This record gives sequence, structure tokens and C-alpha cells, in this order.
Amino acid sequence: MLHKFISPVQAGMLIIVSLLSLNLFAQTSSQIIQKVENNLNGKSAYMKFTMIVKTSRYERKMQMQSWGEGNEKSFIKVTYPKKDSGITFLKRDNQMWQYVPKIEKTIKIPSSMMLQSWMGSDFTNDDLAKESSILDDYDHKLIEQNATTYSIELIPKVDAAVVWGKIIMIVSKEYMLPNSAHYYDEDNLLIRTLNYQKFQQLSNRMYPTYWEMLPQTKDKKDHKTIVIVDEAEFDKEIDSSYFTKRALKRYSK
Amino acid sequence: MIAYLDIALKSIKANLSRSIVTVFLTAISAAILIFTSTLMDGQHGIMLRNAVEVYPGYIQITHKAFRDTPSFDNLIFDEKSVLEKLKERNDIHTFTARFETAALFSSKTKTIGAMITGIEPENESHISKLKIALVEGTYLESNDTNALYIGVELAKRLKVSLGEQLSFISNAADYSFCADNVIIKGIFQTGLYEFDANSAFLNKRYFDEVFVSENLATHIIVLPKEPHNALALSQDIQKGLDETLISESWKEFMESLVKAMELDSIFSYINLGIFFIVIFFVIMIYTLLVVFSRVKEIGILRAIGTTSKQIFSMLVFESAILSLLGVLIGGAIGGYLAYYFNIHPIELKGEYAEYFKQYSIMSTALPTDFNLITIARDMSIMFILGIVSTLYPIFKINAFTPSEAMRHV
Repeated sequence: MLHKFISPVQAGMLIIVSLLSLNLFAQTSSQIIQKVENNLNGKSAYMKFTMIVKTSRYERKMQMQSWGEGNEKSFIKVTYPKKDSGITFLKRDNQMWQYVPKIEKTIKIPSSMMLQSWMGSDFTNDDLAKESSILDDYDHKLIEQNATTYSIELIPKVDAAVVWGKIIMIVSKEYMLPNSAHYYDEDNLLIRTLNYQKFQQLSNRMYPTYWEMLPQTKDKKDHKTIVIVDEAEFDKEIDSSYFTKRALKRYSK
Repeated sequence: MIAYLDIALKSIKANLSRSIVTVFLTAISAAILIFTSTLMDGQHGIMLRNAVEVYPGYIQITHKAFRDTPSFDNLIFDEKSVLEKLKERNDIHTFTARFETAALFSSKTKTIGAMITGIEPENESHISKLKIALVEGTYLESNDTNALYIGVELAKRLKVSLGEQLSFISNAADYSFCADNVIIKGIFQTGLYEFDANSAFLNKRYFDEVFVSENLATHIIVLPKEPHNALALSQDIQKGLDETLISESWKEFMESLVKAMELDSIFSYINLGIFFIVIFFVIMIYTLLVVFSRVKEIGILRAIGTTSKQIFSMLVFESAILSLLGVLIGGAIGGYLAYYFNIHPIELKGEYAEYFKQYSIMSTALPTDFNLITIARDMSIMFILGIVSTLYPIFKINAFTPSEAMRHV
């Protein structure tokens, strides 16, 4: 019936325009994710943060410092509590090492342990090591937008070695930073939600200073991990010695 | 009826050598059947006992949600009060607490994730086979610190040996970070490959300090005075427990193993079924030969007015007497063998013992299960089989007319 209303040329043009608009959407969603990544990580970042782990029985507070270059390299040092002070983590080339002063040993975290809890929190080793890249390992699709936010669906690429079956990221149009990220497993079951709140001016940018990881599974219903960014500096040169295995012991003190 | 019995007995006496052979065949078959099935039951019993006694225990008390979600939110939060309640009971032989969790073990060259468990060495030695599974070094003691008792396969994977240092990192019960260096004090081998490749043990007193698990446990294991009453005892223990806890017997928490054993029994009975069929045909063929050698005699009986029904009854009586005799002798022999090897189990040595260990059976003794019900069942089966196997030859011979029978060569 379509040919009765539009000519074949018009129909062809309509298809091309439709495809172009789809492509534009794809580019837009990728650009959004790229901007989000840049705003979150910067070229480099130094931070001091507090992590509070809440469970049905305990509440623990830890303080840490981190040095990072983009999404590829990072170094974390635990400064509080005293018992854990001096524990350091190095993430480089999608691999992760940990130095524990008590046993005076550097341990490479094996791939099989990547989904294990990091320091007893609701973050995993994989969250730190970021073996998978949100930018490279996922196809992005803008599924919804309103006056203040974009909703972007991230589906893992076929050959990507990723943990999640799907991620829905809600991005603030004002700051081009995430408001929240919802992580689903392969069965499309919501596993956890990471909320980014309390946007404040830190260094040269607006930054979420209150991160709240809320597990959504029944077995962790009373768990919560809060990260409070106390200080942050972005895009300043970081001594490359932080991203060597030797740094794990050297900067532990 | 008495007349048939009388004729049958006379016939048995008249064909004494054939009768002895039939009784002998039936007796040997019954004895073999009884011995095989009691040995099979004994083997299953040993396998189940080993599977239960190597580590899991007869009764486990855990948090209700622990089995599905083994997290630190689902622990026994007041271990001491449960242990106090168990102490008051007089139907329990012993009990012990365990705290098991995952850890990352690191040697000089390897880092591997495995289970680490805090145990009470003395109590544990009465409940599980951990102590007797020792192959190198020494078992844990209640005052040990920084001493690790490690599975032989895990030690191999980590490329460590006795006396060497190993580090572990893990999460403590309060979700804080914990780590320490330990020295390998002992190496064990249960024969359960997965268990030996993923398990290491510490003295619980030391473990509780490192893992902040004072008065906490993941499991409390109970050894009943009468292990065969584990199910009833676990149900009784449950009555006195906090509603967050569950007491389960091995039949519940090792349901898959119980089902596997049942499946194995089915296959074993199929094998025995084949044995029955062979026996059936041996007796039938022999009876056929015996009966056909008596065709003339049967023909004469028919000619003097004996009906085919009477012939049938006479031959069935004859078969029943011989089968009963054979089954009684076979039952006595088989029963004696089952009894003897129950008290003096067959000891596997050398290669066979090693082969047995590969299948997670730590004991190399293979007893029979001397069970009168099993013996009576097998005797009944052999008796029925003996009679049924003679029916075809009897029908066959009865099909002859008297003149055909008398002319039969």
C-alpha cells in the first residue's frame, strides 16, 4: 500500500534518513559515554575518599588515597583503619596486584577472583581492575531522554569478556556525569545499583562526591557501600612511579 | 496332595544323581546370589559411611539460609549457646564447630583461591577422617597458631611442601580484610580429589582471632551415638534450636549422594537380574534334559490313567522339593559367607587398595552386609526361580500323547 502514497525514490530516501538518524543516535550515545568516562576519570585523577561498608551486623569505615591515569592505570592506598593501613592496590594493563604489609607480600589477583568482594565492600575486584571497558566492550544505545537525563543501555559485544549482561546508565545532561548505573546479569535480573549523588565543584569540574552501591539481590538486602570523595584533583601530572609493581611496597609506608 | 508328594519323593530317590545335580545347581546359585547382594549392600554402606564420615558428618547445624547463600550474613551467631544445648544431650557421641570461608592462598610462585576452615582439632578428629587422612607432617593441635593443615592436591597446585610458608588473604567475618602467613604443618589425602584440591584447615582458636569469628560458626557437626538414627536425632535437635538455625541429617544435606547410591543400586540389581536370567536358563535346560530322559516313564504313567494335570502336579512338587532343598543349603552357605565376611571383611591390598582410594573410599576393608531380610529375599527369589524354570519343560512333556511318549527315544 505504501507505493500508493510515496514514490520509490521517496521511500528510498526515507530509509536512508532513518538509517542515518539511527547512526546519529548511536554516535550520540557513544559520545555521551565517552564524555561521562572523561568527566569521571579525567586524564589523571588524585583522590582521597572514605568508604563505608554497611551490613546487617557491621558498619566499617575505611579511608583511602588513589592515583589514576584515565581508565587504564590506578594505584590505591588504604590509610585507615590502622589494621589495614598500608595495603596497596595497583591496576595496570587490566591486571591487579595487592601488597599486604602484614605478610610483606605482593599478590596478583587471579582472574577467577575478579568477582570477589573488594575489601569486604559491595564493589568487586573487577570494578577496580575494570578488565572490561564500558566504552570498548559494550554497544551503546540511547533508549530514553528527558529534560535532565539520558538513559543509555549498554549491551556487551559478542566477543567481549564482560561480567554484566546489561548496564543501564542514567546520565545527567547538566554535568554529563552518571546519576546512576543499574547492573543486570545475563538473565536480565537487576544485581546492583550504583547511585552518584551530591555533585560539587572539585578541582576543575563538577563531580559526584557521594557514591552509593546498593546490591539488589535477596542475599545482600541489608548491604550498602558508600564512597565519599573527600578531595580530588584532576588532570595534574602523576609520577609514573605510582604505576609500577615496586610502588606497591614503596608507597605502602 | 500327600500322594503327589509321595510320588515326587520316590521319583527324586529313583533319579538320585540328577536330583543331586539340580539341588547342587540351585544351592550354588542361591549362595552366590546371597553373597553378591550382601557384598553389594556392604559396599554401598561403606561408600555412604565414607562419604559421610570423611568430612560432612552425620548431622549438620547451619543457618537456614547458609546452604543456598553461604555468606557472613548467614552464620550461627551464638555458637556457644548451641554447643551448650548439645552438651546436655546423652544421645550424642561428640560435636564440633567449624568456620569455613574462601581465601586466596599465595606461595612463592602461585596464587590460588580455595576454602579455608577453622576447626577444633580434638573434636574434629572424632567426627571426620581428617586426622587419619594425614600423609605427611602432623595433625593440628588446639594450641596451634599459624599452622596449616592442607590437602595434598592443593599443596601440589601451590607447589609447596611440608614446613614451607604460605600466605592467605580473605575477608574476616566482619567483612574486614584479613591476611597472615602460615607454615604447612601437615598434609592430608582423603581421596576426594575436589576436597583435597580445595581445602586447608587452621586451629579454630587462632582462626577466630584472624577472621574475627569468636562465637561464630558456619557449621556445627554432630556425631550421634547411634549413627543410623541420625534423621530422628536431627529432627529432635531442631526442636531446641533458634528459628534461624536448621539441623539436617546426612540424608537431607547429601540428598544427591543418596540418590546416586539408589541409582547405583538399580544398576547393580540390573546386573543381578542378568545373573538371575542365566541361572533361570541353566536350571531350565538341565530340567528339560532331566524331564526328557523320563518321557517314557511319563508315557507309561499316562497310559495307566494318570492325567496330565496329575503329572504336572507331581513334577511341580518334585521341582519344589529340589528347589527348597537347594535354596536351604544355598541359604546356609550364602548366609554363612555373608556373616563371616561381615565380621572379617575382605581386605584390599596393593594396587586394589589404591584404586579403591581413588573412588574416595578411605577404608580398604570390604565387609558384607549380614542382613537376614536380604538373605530371606534372595532365598525366596531362588526358590520361585527354581520352580518357574521347570514349568516350560513340564508343559513340553505334558504335550506328548501317551503313545508318543512311550515311543520316544
